[in-house]
Amino acid sequence: MWGIVKDLIKYNSEFRIGATLILVVLTIAGLSLVSPYPANVTYVVAPDVPPSRAHWFGTTSRGQDVFWQLTFAIRNTLVFGILVAGLSRLLSLAIGLVAGYRGGWVDRVLMSINDTFIVIPLFPVLILFYFVLRDRMSTALLALIMACLGWAYDARLIRSVAMSIKSREFTETSIFSGMTTREILMQEHLPYVMPIVFSTTMNNMNWSIGLEVTLAVLGFMDIDTPTIGSMIYWANQHTAIVAGIWWWIAFPVGLVVMTFVGLFLLAVSMNEYIDPRSRLARMGGGVR
Amino acid sequence: MTGPPVLSVENLQAYYRTHYFGVNREVRAVDGITFDVHDNEIYGLAGESSSGKTTLIKTVAGLLKPPLQFVGGAARFSFLPGHDALATAPRAVALGVWWSRLSFIMQGSMNVLNPLRRIRRTFRDFALRHVRGTRQEFGQRVLDHLARVRLDPSVLDAYPHELSGGMRQRVTIALATICKPQFIIADEPTTALDVVIQKDVLGMIRQIQREMGSSVLLVTHDMGVHAALTDRLGIMYAGRLVEEAPTRKLFAAPMHPYTQHLIASLPRIGDAGHRNSLEGSPPNLADPPSGCRFHPRCPLARDVCRASAPPLIVAGGGHRVACHVVAGAGAS
Repeated sequence: MWGIVKDLIKYNSEFRIGATLILVVLTIAGLSLVSPYPANVTYVVAPDVPPSRAHWFGTTSRGQDVFWQLTFAIRNTLVFGILVAGLSRLLSLAIGLVAGYRGGWVDRVLMSINDTFIVIPLFPVLILFYFVLRDRMSTALLALIMACLGWAYDARLIRSVAMSIKSREFTETSIFSGMTTREILMQEHLPYVMPIVFSTTMNNMNWSIGLEVTLAVLGFMDIDTPTIGSMIYWANQHTAIVAGIWWWIAFPVGLVVMTFVGLFLLAVSMNEYIDPRSRLARMGGGVR
Repeated sequence: MTGPPVLSVENLQAYYRTHYFGVNREVRAVDGITFDVHDNEIYGLAGESSSGKTTLIKTVAGLLKPPLQFVGGAARFSFLPGHDALATAPRAVALGVWWSRLSFIMQGSMNVLNPLRRIRRTFRDFALRHVRGTRQEFGQRVLDHLARVRLDPSVLDAYPHELSGGMRQRVTIALATICKPQFIIADEPTTALDVVIQKDVLGMIRQIQREMGSSVLLVTHDMGVHAALTDRLGIMYAGRLVEEAPTRKLFAAPMHPYTQHLIASLPRIGDAGHRNSLEGSPPNLADPPSGCRFHPRCPLARDVCRASAPPLIVAGGGHRVACHVVAGAGAS
């Protein structure tokens, strides 16, 4: 494992840059554990101080240190993104692989459910959830709701790949060798769709973090939990841009962009490790 | 050939049945086929594309997928008493013989190996469950078997795309034969290989078959392969067996008009003469011609050929043929 990472660092500039960015982001998130200020307490420092030696990223109008507040925010946002991506990957993998492999009525039933989720307008549904749940709405619950709403596109994508590998001889050979459906899906088909899953995971994290930020900025979220979105929400509430407190908005936005770029680059370079053919493609070769 | 047959196929029928938007369609790809394969024998099946060869062996092996349906008849294996056909036997019975006793070398060896699994993993995925013993013993067995097909142990750590076509084909043969199956079905095992590799691979199949004493049912449209490898040869046309004989005899004295044309069309070294091709193309099996299915293209066709299908009659010396004209000539 370590050897692979070393090779990736040595030969793959995407991995180098991506890993560095994510390492920085993770370090910042990790620093939340040693924060001198608690996450939800306001007016602990002088408000509206620009970036300085004492407060690296300045302080907010609510008397919070932007840097330490950011450590909590990015940690919660990352956990949220990973939670949504992980849960929705499980759903889309299971549904996509089974629908593509089994075909027939199983496929028809699963895909009609799938298509229902594709056409549901997401944003109004999420706002509806907020109004129904109100104070019970938490980051974890929102992650669960988003995972249940966000698997459909990728399930269809995975199903299309599963349908094509189902007709390959190695699938028929697997059946002939006595492998069960579960074994065929896990051992023969799953490695095939993994590169797609990896890039869609990053895509999905992007999407979920983006939606979470949108909801929080509009106030349709648990705004007492610090996330990137709720930080921007509070900044807007205090008209930070107009008041010239640019650091309150710039640093959260910069950090979340850094996260996106880092995740994307990692996904691209991971493909090379998982899929031996993309290594060939990189050399200018290819299969057959 | 002596002893009871290992595989005995009797009046086997398998159709592709579809019904879309109220239209029923029935393609009779295998329509009443009877033949035996004996112990320690390589039985060849020849015929042009769409003659039902692949459908026949899929039915025999019990690998039916909709819309292909088993319709009737039997395909009995001597090691599977009590079941008329794998296609109708419970799945557990089929799983008990697949790979371990009945093996299948699939068409298109390039795709038999999962491109994302190393060869070692493919061996484990497909064959480990059929072999008793530990992983170490299995590993040793794989190495011994690879030596038999003259492959270096290093291929185990390779991905399929790192191997040449011939090596891949040898890997698939090694995979199919590692459990020493009693019966091997080979579907076009040498298609897409050049003639040098073809000869090599065919020699290997023959050698392994002789060493293990298993029977082989070999399907290909390549008559050269049949001439080189098979002991007996059956000729299929439009879902039916039209002629069957020991291979040498069939090449020397074909009786059915279709077989005669097939063999006359083969090029021979030193013969610069033009080869006559047969007019027309194979019939539509959803709406086959009445009577003998070959009659629209047959130069010897008579009224009786249009009216009734000729039965497969024994013409002596292990030769069987289904033709009214040949039967009539023999009787008179």
